[in-house]
Amino acid sequence: MDLVGVQRFVADAVQREAPLTAGGDLAAQVEQLVAPSVRGMTPADRVEVYREQFWIRHLKSVADDFPTLTWALGGAEAFEALAREYLLARPPSTWDLQRLGAKMPAFVQEHATRGRDELACDAARLDWAFMEVFDAPDAPAFDPRVLAAMPEDAWPAARVHMHPATRAMAMGFPLLELRDALKAGSPGGDRPAPAPTHAVVWRDAACFSRSVAIEPAAYALFTRLAAGEPLGAACEAVARDTGLAEAEIGERVGAWFQEWTQRGWVSRVAV
Amino acid sequence: MGFRSRHAIPDLGVGVGFRTPHVRQVLRDRPAMDWFEIISENYFAEGGIQRANLDALSGAYRVVPHGVSLSIGGTDPLDADYLARLRSLVARLGAPWCSDHLCWTGIGGVDTHDLLPLPMTRASLEHVVERCKRVQGEVGAVFALENASTYLAFRESTIPEAEFLGEIAERADCGILLDVNNVFVSAHNHGFDARAYIDAIPADRVVQMHVAGHTDRGAYLLDTHSDHVKDEVWELYRRALRRCGPTSTLVEWDELIPAWEVLSAEADRARAVRDEVLGARNPTPLAPGPASRAGGT
Repeated sequence: MDLVGVQRFVADAVQREAPLTAGGDLAAQVEQLVAPSVRGMTPADRVEVYREQFWIRHLKSVADDFPTLTWALGGAEAFEALAREYLLARPPSTWDLQRLGAKMPAFVQEHATRGRDELACDAARLDWAFMEVFDAPDAPAFDPRVLAAMPEDAWPAARVHMHPATRAMAMGFPLLELRDALKAGSPGGDRPAPAPTHAVVWRDAACFSRSVAIEPAAYALFTRLAAGEPLGAACEAVARDTGLAEAEIGERVGAWFQEWTQRGWVSRVAV
Repeated sequence: MGFRSRHAIPDLGVGVGFRTPHVRQVLRDRPAMDWFEIISENYFAEGGIQRANLDALSGAYRVVPHGVSLSIGGTDPLDADYLARLRSLVARLGAPWCSDHLCWTGIGGVDTHDLLPLPMTRASLEHVVERCKRVQGEVGAVFALENASTYLAFRESTIPEAEFLGEIAERADCGILLDVNNVFVSAHNHGFDARAYIDAIPADRVVQMHVAGHTDRGAYLLDTHSDHVKDEVWELYRRALRRCGPTSTLVEWDELIPAWEVLSAEADRARAVRDEVLGARNPTPLAPGPASRAGGT
């Protein structure tokens, strides 16, 4: 067997969910490839050392990354069952263990049974947003002198660039405080009643990952600006979508913008 | 001129891994320590707390990156993005070398995040030599290959591991990170003579050594980095020092990580062994630059 063949065989073996010793045909193939140990381990026992470590390592890593999802599913046992399905369906595909759970929100959404649980879907997305902002690229802090230098008639065409370590999200459940409590060691409590929640998850200046609820209209504007729409067009669209008067949107934008820049969500404004 | 002289490889003394439980204490108190090793991949991101902590650490200590995911023995193409990030990290740290393991980590786009063993054959050797040359050319620093702890051996292997590693290093003109604990663990698991392994390694290519604790699982030893260095490994370390001379040494402790004082005491023990074998000496003085040692011995 050439090197590619050996590596394919071993990689498949260590990703198996069931122990090799239980798989007759595979154990026979392992016998042909791997020598028994001088200390009495069979070839299958020796591959089993790596297979066990594969599951221990990856199950721990995703469990660490999804505390809210773990709670939403009912605890560690239910989460591990889902994580095993996930790792079998979406094997680790990058050197970066931080990205191991990147496909988990979509996996939960598409899952035959869990996908019907909106709380679990929201929890997976919220946890992943925290993972994304943890080590997203840095960006220069917003320079308020840009605003002072910008003529008023330039504002409608201005594009607001959000900091790479911010994520806006809309959820059907109020999970922000719950997640903070879980991270602080709380068992989490009862399942919350559904309540539309709009939030920003971000990494602050001290590199702490945080979240805060925002108004639905602020969320709508944030997502449009983050998608690259000019400020004027984004405000018009938000007014249209929310039924708020453009003048009212205009008044609120000033307060929102002040909050966003103070929190470090805005990286720069360009005309 | 030998490899270490040709590349001006410094003896950094004895260091430890920079690990999460100690971050606050190390950055606040700047305790005496000759140098730190970091897991390269943990610092590849372009932002966040890890990067900020590394900037603070490298402002006070010499820091060397050590990778676990290069997959030098893999048959998938080397990851250009990974190499670019490693090059950037090495440059940011002004690191005198970087290292990773003689292993493969995955195939077909799957990454097992494990240090999987290679068949020790002529074909594997040729394969790794070519990839080492490319890595060393791209990262802009000496690249050192570490012997990994292994738990299985392939029937088709024909070359003893020390000879396999030594020939790769010679032909690729790269360095060796001699993990003394891994030699001990693999020697136990495969039934070879650990002392003969140490004696067979090309000494002048050894740019760094690792010592660590391991766990006895009955039928095999597991390289857990979860305990004090065993006496047998210290003895092997003495032998390695006698062969290689003053060599930067790193105490690894990555599971059940103890208080800083315990880890620091383990580094002191490594320093005492070095002094016992080599006589008391100071690590290579640092050239002026962004990194300077806080405290140290």
